[in-house]
Amino acid sequence: MSGTMAARNKVVIAGYAHSQVERHSDQQLGSMAVDTARRAIADAGLDAVDGFVTGALFPTSGSHAAEDGISLVTANWLAEHLGINPRYAAGFQGFGQIPGSVTMAVNAVASGAADYVLLHRALHNPKGKYHENTMRDARGSQQWTVPQGYFGPLAMIALPYQEYIQRYGATREAMAQVLVEARKNGARLPWSHWYGQPLTAEEYLAAPFISDPICRYDCDIPVDGVAAFVFTTAERAKDLPNQPVYVSGFGMGAPVTRRTPVHWPLDDIMGVGEETARRLWESSGIGPGDVDLPQVYDGFSPFVYFWLECLGLCPKGEAHRFVLDGQIDSDRPGAIPALSSGGALGNGRMHGVPQMLECYLQLSGRAGERQRQGVNVGVACHSSPHFGGAVVYTNTPTRR
Amino acid sequence: MTGPPAEPLRPLPVPDELSAPYWDAAARHRLAVARCSRCGTFAHPPDVVCQACGTSDPEFRFTEVSGRGRVRSWTVMHQSFLPGFRADLPYVLVDVELVEQADLRLIGRLLDGPDAPLGLGSEVHVAFEDVTPEVSVPAFVLTAGADS
Repeated sequence: MSGTMAARNKVVIAGYAHSQVERHSDQQLGSMAVDTARRAIADAGLDAVDGFVTGALFPTSGSHAAEDGISLVTANWLAEHLGINPRYAAGFQGFGQIPGSVTMAVNAVASGAADYVLLHRALHNPKGKYHENTMRDARGSQQWTVPQGYFGPLAMIALPYQEYIQRYGATREAMAQVLVEARKNGARLPWSHWYGQPLTAEEYLAAPFISDPICRYDCDIPVDGVAAFVFTTAERAKDLPNQPVYVSGFGMGAPVTRRTPVHWPLDDIMGVGEETARRLWESSGIGPGDVDLPQVYDGFSPFVYFWLECLGLCPKGEAHRFVLDGQIDSDRPGAIPALSSGGALGNGRMHGVPQMLECYLQLSGRAGERQRQGVNVGVACHSSPHFGGAVVYTNTPTRR
Repeated sequence: MTGPPAEPLRPLPVPDELSAPYWDAAARHRLAVARCSRCGTFAHPPDVVCQACGTSDPEFRFTEVSGRGRVRSWTVMHQSFLPGFRADLPYVLVDVELVEQADLRLIGRLLDGPDAPLGLGSEVHVAFEDVTPEVSVPAFVLTAGADS
């Protein structure tokens, strides 16, 4: 069984669009998705697409209704509201919605199920408290944790982060630098919720804990926002206006160790995460030293450490020192620009969109004032290393 | 005359066919963990397939355990997304590995209070919160005198 990607560099991103990211948009989510999709299709130089993919998850623990077109947008909903009878429409059901739906887009294009596939991600911030849940009855899997008061993603990430802190001596000052870096870069993006709003280490350190050692700045802020990307073959992209960005490989994974809900021990994250990284390098035929633009996922700040270590960008247990030493400062020559996208912490809760978008913008030469020179290979990560994945992109498919 | 609005109540477990013996034991202040009838391996939470031997018919039996374990991690909750826990804030949750089997992990409250001296490997044992006259929820307390 070969882990090499059969369609390596045969499918490309040909265009994109991205909405404003706002705490609460005046526009309904579905309407925003339709507008963003139309702009992406036009950006790719097309009149229409014939395939649709997404991972539509409405990622809240709260007591909110999940309604298509309102709080989430499925592939079929978007096709219908664009007036397109799709040859292919599908949703990714696992964790890591961005790499998961990218694999589906690539598969659809490579197999010929569709010629032009629109991948979108629509995120919604409902009125009321995002994760608050008024359930009275803890049924099924919830009965093992909810009656104990263990619930929601902040407690979920607090446990492995505490384990990391205790095991490796990580300080809060180190994590402050993750936030400073993410918000510095997010502050430069006109579409970001945090545009023009960097964060200082002092502000981070002064924030009270919500679920110790997690404070509010360690969590991406819920927002309304939509992104869309158009995929097609490298061959067809020759006739399209934008510099194509090629998909070179994937790595995904999920744990098999059975746990109670939202229980993510550090060893599960790192053990499965290292296998995810191994798959990524095998699939793409590159290694960590070939990556100019690793974009680590940061929906909760500790994921930055976990991804840096799983990808082999620094030794295990050393990410906190690496960060504190300025080694992910995107403005510092020789450092790794791991959060140059601003990430979710610097954009708002756009899931893995910022990481994918940064790879696309930089590798297609469309990053404007932020354009980095000499970037040829990017990696876009999403979710936890053990419950998500990453995609390798390049603009120079003939280099290897 | 109306009083102040009642505090929201804590969510309660709804025992099902599989879990009923767990909650029955907890009501008697005993910790009982599911054990595969085919291979004897503990499983928490129990599911339809035994992770150790792969049987799809594990006929889990809830077996009383010592309730002793070591802390693998913890968090101090200063806010809860479950309104019924607001009156308990701040409270500590511990991720405990039970002594009976490697990586057999339970999450529960630590009842020693938010300033309890905790470290990786701290020894704890099970305790129970009587949430209603009928329902008790397994939790943990630090084992006095244990080196941790």
